[in-house]
Amino acid sequence: MLRLIGRRLLLMVPTLILASILIFALAEVLPGDVGRSILGPYATQEQVELLNERLGADRPIYVRYAAWAGGFVTGDWGESLLLKVPVFPTVMKALGNSLVLAGFALVLIVPTSVLLGVFSGLRRDSALDRTITVSTLSMTVIPEFVSGVVLLYVFAVWLKVLPVTAMPPDGSPFVSRFYYLILPAIPLMFLELGYIARMARVGTVQVLAMPYIRTAVLKGLPRRRVIFGHVLRNAMVPTVTVIGSQVGWLIGGLVVIETLFVYPGIGKLMVDAAQTHDLPMLEAAVLMVAILYMLSNLIADIVVALLNPRIRAGG
Amino acid sequence: MADEKYASEYGQHLVDQVMKGKMTRRQLLVRASVFGLSVTAAGQLLAACGGDSEESASPAASAIPDPVMGGTIKMIGPAPITDPDPVTIYDQGGIVLVYQFLEYLIDLNNDNSLRGTLAETWTPNETVDVWTFNLRQGVTFNDGSPFEAEDVVTSIERVLDPDNGSGALSQLNGVLSPGGVKAVDAATVEFTLDKPFADFPYMVSSGNYNTAILPRSYKGDIIKNPVGTGPFMLDKYVTKQKATFTKNPNYWGKDDKGNQLPYLDGMEYIMVEDNSAQNLQLQSGAIDLQPQTVFQGAQALFADPNLRVDIYPGTGIREVAFNVDKEPWKDNPKLRQAVAYCLDREAINKALYDGRSNLGYDTFWEPSVFAGAPESTPRAQDYEKAKALLSEAGYPDGLEIELTFAKYLENPQYAQLIQEQCKPAGITVKLNQLSYEAYYAGDDADYYGTTPWINAPMTITEWGSRPAPGIYAAAMLLPDAVWSSSHWDNADFVSAFDEYESTVDEASRMELATTLSQTQQDETPILLSFYITQLRTQKKNVFGVGGPGSFYCDMSRAFMTA
Repeated sequence: MLRLIGRRLLLMVPTLILASILIFALAEVLPGDVGRSILGPYATQEQVELLNERLGADRPIYVRYAAWAGGFVTGDWGESLLLKVPVFPTVMKALGNSLVLAGFALVLIVPTSVLLGVFSGLRRDSALDRTITVSTLSMTVIPEFVSGVVLLYVFAVWLKVLPVTAMPPDGSPFVSRFYYLILPAIPLMFLELGYIARMARVGTVQVLAMPYIRTAVLKGLPRRRVIFGHVLRNAMVPTVTVIGSQVGWLIGGLVVIETLFVYPGIGKLMVDAAQTHDLPMLEAAVLMVAILYMLSNLIADIVVALLNPRIRAGG
Repeated sequence: MADEKYASEYGQHLVDQVMKGKMTRRQLLVRASVFGLSVTAAGQLLAACGGDSEESASPAASAIPDPVMGGTIKMIGPAPITDPDPVTIYDQGGIVLVYQFLEYLIDLNNDNSLRGTLAETWTPNETVDVWTFNLRQGVTFNDGSPFEAEDVVTSIERVLDPDNGSGALSQLNGVLSPGGVKAVDAATVEFTLDKPFADFPYMVSSGNYNTAILPRSYKGDIIKNPVGTGPFMLDKYVTKQKATFTKNPNYWGKDDKGNQLPYLDGMEYIMVEDNSAQNLQLQSGAIDLQPQTVFQGAQALFADPNLRVDIYPGTGIREVAFNVDKEPWKDNPKLRQAVAYCLDREAINKALYDGRSNLGYDTFWEPSVFAGAPESTPRAQDYEKAKALLSEAGYPDGLEIELTFAKYLENPQYAQLIQEQCKPAGITVKLNQLSYEAYYAGDDADYYGTTPWINAPMTITEWGSRPAPGIYAAAMLLPDAVWSSSHWDNADFVSAFDEYESTVDEASRMELATTLSQTQQDETPILLSFYITQLRTQKKNVFGVGGPGSFYCDMSRAFMTA
């Protein structure tokens, strides 16, 4: 197990290097340049070239990459080219906000979807199973922008029982944030419930068909013990893997939710930085999300190994 | 000419024009404002014309209660795209933000007439190429330093310096060059222009948003040192999230009854990019004011019983430009006119703006929008005429054209309407939709030679409000205009335009404006189907928000009742 963890952590380094190179390369092919983004479409060509020269944006890409990488690894993440704010605290604050939203959403999504999926698997092909499957999968296809607008209109505008934004006023206690995150978390639940519940259902159905479950039942073990001691534990293996892979999206992919609910998360920060060629901000934000994505997958794999001794022994 | 003599002679000239029926009273007020006549003087001129007083341009003037002191307003709008340096800002978020604590020499009223702010009066010389501005006295910056002529000189010279990257440089191109601004004394500034330009005051007004007056010591650190003369002071700025303002206790402004301005104790500017999200916050009651409301998606706001949507006669446009350097538009005004006669402008107005905008007829001199413009020749949809023009243009069987535009605001819908309306005439319009970034992108080495918005054969480009037809024409219809998507180069138009801007005689200006308008319509380098009225949404207890829609949001007289 420790070797597995060590190997995975080591593999993160070349992965992050490759990701950082890819971001630089992709930013090169995006239309526009940072000087034009700062000065706007009405500045003259000469003005833009002068600014690009001042910012060093006219240097060869490998020179710029080396300069950025050198600063990044020594902790100097520089300043946003457009916003003129230090990158490190800006990215960390946005990342923290995204982690809070992702964490809250997971607290709502995981138990609900696992329960629904397992229940559905235990009652396979019943009317309840079909109802749960159809309704959760139907919710998955609703774009978060649509569900978000409807929820906002119903609960924040019409009924006025929930706040219209996702951030509490300055000075509010931390715990009050969760009240403000209820509405933004619901569209995320809609999107993830079907997927995770389906995996939990599949896992449950597969495990129920295993000979050792039949043996356990024939041995006379109580049904509750069979379910909690054997079925659930083994059905969670594929489910945990899927949850781990979704964490990255929940942290860095919520641009629509962040825009609609006015939530200062890392997804919107990355999109704005990409559109304006603000490379210091973009690189830092993407790499932080990449690190968290890899860590979440690693944690998921560790949990799976803990659940399944055969994997642990082979790792 | 001396101020008093000038005012007297010019004022009499305006009265004569009204008495002869060559100018309306509204036009008199606008022209008087351009030439720096005080409100009192303009009122006296109106009285000399006789007749009833005109209605105010303010949409809610008759229903405004007495101002209430105190309170904090929450307003909503997009975040500044960049660090909001007033010298280089170009987006709504940045402009609305700095407008609260900085000021300009001149401001725009709701009807696009001019109002002296840091300048009290301004007068041209006889050849209209030297303008003298008399500055308001007793004004201090919010750090206590006095406002003087040197601050104006450094502020304007700063935007004229190419090294500073200001978009205002392109606007002032050919009109004012570095070194053209001089402090005559502490209270007087003189602008020596490159050429006569009668609309010059607009170019140092809030309409040219980079010309905000900054202290001479300004070093480009506006958030760390938000020093200005405006009614509010920037208290706190959280990037991409919000800004808070408190009232400037030493603000120079007072209302008509002598009450200290501003009425409000403070403001919060909440930064939200998405229009739907902004509208939802308004409807929820969390926000008091949305300075600029976008038509698309605003229907619910009109129907909301707790909100009031004010409508201002805006001058924003969606320019449809024919690149006359490229086929099939080159040397072919009849083809361009053929497209013009395919358009059902009323239907377009209805589809895009629920009929609330002013119709345009492919000329900037549109009297329903710019007071002082001559009557234009309306153009209705006429397929017979369009087909006849197509035939004369050498395309009796029709043709295929490509229309390039950004996926932004209502441009895609407008493009589709043009496509549908051209089809019956035999013109097939192929739509080339680009992302906003791609539409305005260009090669590093030659931006203006490669960017689609300036170079594609036919384009739709959105323009924010401009306060006068001459400003629009200078920006996009002259051969040396950097932002000309049409690349139009018409010697008659240029000659008439130079004359138009070099004279203060209103009779001559009206004649020349008629010539300019007719030439623009005959040649049709661009289509102007409408002028977009501006919307502003606020709670029903919010009053006094000034500025002609678009980016302008003058909160100095804003207040909230209980």
